[in-house]
Amino acid sequence: MIIRFLQRHREASVALIIVFLFAILGLVDRSYLSFDTVLLVYGNSLILFVLAIGATMVMATHGLDVSVGSIMGLAAVVAGLLMNAGWGIPASIGVALLVGLLCGLFNGALVAWLKVSAIVATLGTLGLYRGFVHLLSGGSWIEGLPEGFKALTKAGSLGLSPVAWLVLVLLIVAHLGLRYTAFGRSMFAVGDNREGARLIGIRVNEVQIVAYGLNGLLSALAGVIFASQIGFIPNTAGTGMEMRAISSSVLGGVSLLGGTGTVLGAALGAYFMTSIDSILVLLRLEAYWNDIIAGAILLVVLITDGKIREAVDRHLRYQKYRKFIDPQAAGQHADAAKAAGRTVKTVLETSEARK
Amino acid sequence: MKLHPALKRWESVLALLLIAEILLFGAINPVFLQPATLLYATSDFIHVGITALALTLVIITGGIDLSLGSVMGLSAITLGILWVGGVDIWVAAVAALAVGTLAGVFNAVAIHLSKVNPLVITLGTGFLYGGAALVLSGLAGATGYEGISNFDPAFVNLTNLEIVGLPLPFALFVVLTIAFMALLHRTRFGRYVYLIGQNPRAAAYAGTPVFRTLVVAYALTSLMAALSGLILASYFGSARSDFGTTALMPAITAVVLGGTSIYGGSGTILGTALAALLVGYLQTGLQLVGVSSHVSSALSGGLLVIVVALRSLSEMGRVWFQHRRVLRNVAAE
Repeated sequence: MIIRFLQRHREASVALIIVFLFAILGLVDRSYLSFDTVLLVYGNSLILFVLAIGATMVMATHGLDVSVGSIMGLAAVVAGLLMNAGWGIPASIGVALLVGLLCGLFNGALVAWLKVSAIVATLGTLGLYRGFVHLLSGGSWIEGLPEGFKALTKAGSLGLSPVAWLVLVLLIVAHLGLRYTAFGRSMFAVGDNREGARLIGIRVNEVQIVAYGLNGLLSALAGVIFASQIGFIPNTAGTGMEMRAISSSVLGGVSLLGGTGTVLGAALGAYFMTSIDSILVLLRLEAYWNDIIAGAILLVVLITDGKIREAVDRHLRYQKYRKFIDPQAAGQHADAAKAAGRTVKTVLETSEARK
Repeated sequence: MKLHPALKRWESVLALLLIAEILLFGAINPVFLQPATLLYATSDFIHVGITALALTLVIITGGIDLSLGSVMGLSAITLGILWVGGVDIWVAAVAALAVGTLAGVFNAVAIHLSKVNPLVITLGTGFLYGGAALVLSGLAGATGYEGISNFDPAFVNLTNLEIVGLPLPFALFVVLTIAFMALLHRTRFGRYVYLIGQNPRAAAYAGTPVFRTLVVAYALTSLMAALSGLILASYFGSARSDFGTTALMPAITAVVLGGTSIYGGSGTILGTALAALLVGYLQTGLQLVGVSSHVSSALSGGLLVIVVALRSLSEMGRVWFQHRRVLRNVAAE
């Protein structure tokens, strides 16, 4: 029971921290404790939500993509240039998403076909795609985006903008898709045990490439949302976002070693990362406290999680080998360390005695 | 065709690439070939090389340090804050290096205690140190583009000094390269670093002092990052909290391009040093030829992708040929 819960405690722990943050906020000023604050933070975390979905997919396959920030910037610049060249808004966004998809597929091809380590391959493409951003934009900001494009992130029905609704749908679809469809499960299978996945007939390389491709597509979407929210496109758009996206997913319990994690957890992690920023603003603390608080909480969560996981492992090992420990010790304070410390001789003796 | 074994080494390939690169840029723009240009150009990128030298140790142990960029900023800001507070500049510099070293020790302790992947831990500590640097500069009211300046002239002139005809940062890089080569390839500690990277579990069972080795490796990396922060502060004459933000990726690039395996267990200091020069001169050379710095960053990214892809392709090819040879021999029997 407890172990069952502990395996899922990551989402729970992040959710608790978020509640705790809001509680602090409520102590300062009752009027902040409203659904509006929740919506405000949600609106601010759209970009990170989208990136976290992609990061979850890639990390599920035991990969890592640090080029998402550059893909974001590239997609934003492509969309902006096309719109300013007189293209329609849907067509421009479509091309931008396609560019993102291609970038992602290229990352995937490097990792799956050429067997380049994920962090190295995406480090390279981080520089490469960022260079494309500067090439296309000529190093200048892109301004004068059409009003219709900016309206995509303006609050509409029920206080949510059209894009916010889209992201909500995406979160639900991605969460269910990764948990309950054969393809979603195959990503986790590849990340957990690549060779095993291959042997049960999963097309390992293709699954990896699709994961990176979807991640590229989602990063492009994040870039489009970013451009729509701030209304112009600086050529540094998206820099440093990869670290925030990875941190969010890790906070939410997605393992870098592949094979575990949920979109829900990653989304909670992203929500937490943003709520720190928003809440500091509401508490009228200077913005420069953001990173140190985020870093401290991230570390505390990581280290306690590592400790808990170790304890769970120890307990499981103890359950497994309990039958080799003599009955008296099992009655006393018996822990796995003790079990491991027993000599082979005593184990043999007890098994003899049992016969 | 039999190749001399020395030519088969990755470092020789890098050295040839470096020479080819310099000659190519020299052919386009003769200014590039003047010794003064070649030497003084290094001041722009050598801090990345200095950090990459120590990062090589960490990557060989199978770890990685994503916090080094933040440590650069933190050390520069520590120096600035103390200087503004009226501390002697040299005392402040030593304190900044000490802060850097402590950051590295903290990294290693956190990694060892939590048994969590170093990538994640140093991501967290990177936020922490970067945040600390921001808070310090914020409290000092120096969050702007200016940062903290008006340092002691003696300190600012440091990077303009020459030692045996070499600019000081580059001379430092050469000395440190030799020191790290000795440390990694000629000492027991260096052997431990390789052992841990090859197989951490076996290393632990063999009685290798894993924790101590990790602490030294991470502390050295942070110390070198702090030193780079000071070099930058002296070079620009001001200290800003965001000094290292652009240094992290090139440093990892230099290490990987230098032939160190990202999974740990193999790599050389010489390779890292050559790769750092290769990437650095690529940036400088392209600027001299008239290509914008943005395109050059794209090219160094592209270079990394191409080189690594080629290396893994050649590895695949080698394995395939071996298989064929074995199969042929079996068929012949």
